[in-house]
Amino acid sequence: MEALVFWIAAAAMVAFTLLTISSRNPVYSACFMILSFAATAALFVLLDAYLIAAVEVLVYAGAIMVLFLFVIMLVNLRESEHEGLRLNPLMVLAAGTFLALMTRAVQDLGPAVGPQPNALQGSPGLLADTLFTRYVVPFEAVSLLLLAAILGTVVLSRRKEDA
Amino acid sequence: MITLQHWLVLSGMVFTLGLCGVMMRRNVILVLMSIEIMLNAANLALVAFNKHLVVAPGAPVPADGQVLVFFTIAVAAAEVAVALVIAMLLFRRLDTVNVDDVANLRW
Repeated sequence: MEALVFWIAAAAMVAFTLLTISSRNPVYSACFMILSFAATAALFVLLDAYLIAAVEVLVYAGAIMVLFLFVIMLVNLRESEHEGLRLNPLMVLAAGTFLALMTRAVQDLGPAVGPQPNALQGSPGLLADTLFTRYVVPFEAVSLLLLAAILGTVVLSRRKEDA
Repeated sequence: MITLQHWLVLSGMVFTLGLCGVMMRRNVILVLMSIEIMLNAANLALVAFNKHLVVAPGAPVPADGQVLVFFTIAVAAAEVAVALVIAMLLFRRLDTVNVDDVANLRW
């Protein structure tokens, strides 16, 4: 059962990602990307990462993709400016080599390790415990980073005459 | 039986697709989306590693991989916000989102 869900979700994730990068219309790309994030969320559930799955849907498929759609609509490309993948033999070779190397490197991990049967791993309590004890300094750093990003966005998007 | 290798190969495949997107698309918004795909693939690998960590019996359950994913998502959100504003400015100033038309800083 778990294997079946894995194969379906994995196939969906790869297929939707492929459609995302190859669609000619950017709006279609964004929609396919939302579907690929949904498949990813299913895979996270399979890995007992329930909270991460929820955050994936809320933040990635929700907030970030809406931001992308906003900008795509604002830029509003003309139909003639739509273009798909520009296949270049050298780039295909580079990507293929990269994938082959990754796959080869993974084989050296030694005997296949089975998943640790521990459903507690994805519980919000454990995550919060880890986040607010061992990782509290990085957590505060990330909050500063987000503040910097907000300020940067405001400063950048301000029109000249307001300055 | 789904092993760690399965998850890592899947993550590698999605990462490669993102890499292809960055290299082969010319629309700056699509390039940004491809970067998000790559980050997402890395997240998948992190969670898979976390799930397959072998710990001594009785030791506390590790959640470090999942916490790292939280940081990745936060950084990705910050990055997207700033990068999309830059894409908007590009469109406003140069009336293009094609990365080939923006080669002013090239040697």
